[in-house]
Amino acid sequence: MTQQELADRVGVTRQTVIAIEQDKYSPSLETAFKVAMVLGVSLEQCFQYEPHGKR
Amino acid sequence: MSLSYREKSLYASLVAELVVYGPYFFLHRQNSVNKVAGMIVAIIVLQIILQSIIAGFTRHRVTDERDRLIELRGYRAGYLTFVSLMALGLAMLWFHATVGHLHMDNRMMGLHFLSVFFGILVIADITKTATQIIAYRRAL
Repeated sequence: MTQQELADRVGVTRQTVIAIEQDKYSPSLETAFKVAMVLGVSLEQCFQYEPHGKR
Repeated sequence: MSLSYREKSLYASLVAELVVYGPYFFLHRQNSVNKVAGMIVAIIVLQIILQSIIAGFTRHRVTDERDRLIELRGYRAGYLTFVSLMALGLAMLWFHATVGHLHMDNRMMGLHFLSVFFGILVIADITKTATQIIAYRRAL
């Protein structure tokens, strides 16, 4: 799946997908759930939280 | 460099603001109500043309939560700039009118105030747009 396809299905821009991938933007819970749902994985598999700025 | 629809739109706004406001503040020495009105019309026409071109050439015209967050940051920066400059402008006006003994007739005072007020609006608007562009370049 391309970044554009993922963005279209989640309802965000491709630039937002890129920013999430690069750890420069933390999406809202709703977007995070949508990304996980589109990718067919659980939220924990898709996103991890690490303190001190690393996600 | 891959730009989203909102980002392209912001660059167009910044260009329009600099093209229209730049000559007004740096080339014209005498301000008048007609020039201010002409500039408002010019910025509206230029914005419509540029935004129509961008909308026509952009396939994905989606705006999302990140766009809205960046927009809010821009408005906050613009608002803070506006309030700060307005306070400074009023303080300077008060200073000139009391301590500096500035004497102007009502018409000149009105034009002077209009020019300063419009200048503050322009600076706040450019700050808003520039803040949003910087936020996009930093990814947020």
